[in-house]
Amino acid sequence: ILDDPDLKDIDPTVLKHCHAAAATCILEAGKHKADISAISTCLEDCKLDKERIEQFCTEYQKNKDALEILLGSIGRSPLHITDVSWRLEYQIKNNQLHKTYQPSYLVTLNVENSDSGSHPDVSFSCTMEQLQDLVGKLKDAAKSLDRATQM
Amino acid sequence: MLLVLSAEHRAHLGCLPRAGGAAVGELGRLALEQLRRGAAPRACEAAARKLNIDVDTIQHGVEGLAYLLTESSKLMISEIDFQDSIHVLGFSDELNKSLLQLYLDNRKEIRSILGELAPRLPSYHSLEWRLDVQLASRSLRQQIKPAVTMKLHLNQNEDQTAQVLQTDPATLLHLIQQLEQALGEMKTNHCRRIVRNMK
Repeated sequence: ILDDPDLKDIDPTVLKHCHAAAATCILEAGKHKADISAISTCLEDCKLDKERIEQFCTEYQKNKDALEILLGSIGRSPLHITDVSWRLEYQIKNNQLHKTYQPSYLVTLNVENSDSGSHPDVSFSCTMEQLQDLVGKLKDAAKSLDRATQM
Repeated sequence: MLLVLSAEHRAHLGCLPRAGGAAVGELGRLALEQLRRGAAPRACEAAARKLNIDVDTIQHGVEGLAYLLTESSKLMISEIDFQDSIHVLGFSDELNKSLLQLYLDNRKEIRSILGELAPRLPSYHSLEWRLDVQLASRSLRQQIKPAVTMKLHLNQNEDQTAQVLQTDPATLLHLIQQLEQALGEMKTNHCRRIVRNMK
């Protein structure tokens, strides 16, 4: 905003204060999911005239959803799984033991950290039975999600 | 497939005929214990005293036997191949039969011990899960954000590690779909054919 030609006549300090104040007002409104009447009341107390309040509220309404999504994504959480890749292999021999003939799966979970954005993926190997156990447990979790949404 | 025994190996096994039939059983038992638990010098000394042979010869004999058994088990050689391989040692038929029996009786156990030496990635142990709903955070009040929090237990070289992970419902369904596809692969004709033909 300091480079905006329309605003160059205004004292930069005042501009910064206005910008900060407006941003804080918007964030607080978003945080508390305030409705239009609450915002209007608040702005009236700040001695803004009707026209400006209306403008503010209209702009706010337009961007409310995006704001909520942004605020909701801030915060810490455990490593978040974004994707999974798998590999099926059939082991024939290794240097300690020949003729092993064992199928096995290598599963990699791609994870994301809310802070740094990248993290080494979690990889592990498992037999077919273990993978079935894992899938069974994930399906239990999905079923309980289903039941919870129907309550 | 025949086992090729080096001259040194043959020399070490050379003490067996001198030791006599019962002794071979004793040395065999010592060799297996060595494979299971590692070298036991005191047991070898005791055997040496009992059989009236010096300790070093007994030690070499036990090691030679252990190596013979591990190589045979590793390559999973057949009975006939085993017999042909030890034939070169020039032992009596009775001794050869004892050695063959020793091999066949313990092959499976030795293979499972050798199997534990292979390089391994962390392997799956179990998974615990929990359904959470985030209701509010510092940045946003009045939320309803469902998430599945999981604790993945993995084994890495006898250490158990637990990793806490989280995922949203959509990703969970995607994970299930992908892993079910992975399971399905073993049942395809392609995989079945390979498993059948590589035996």
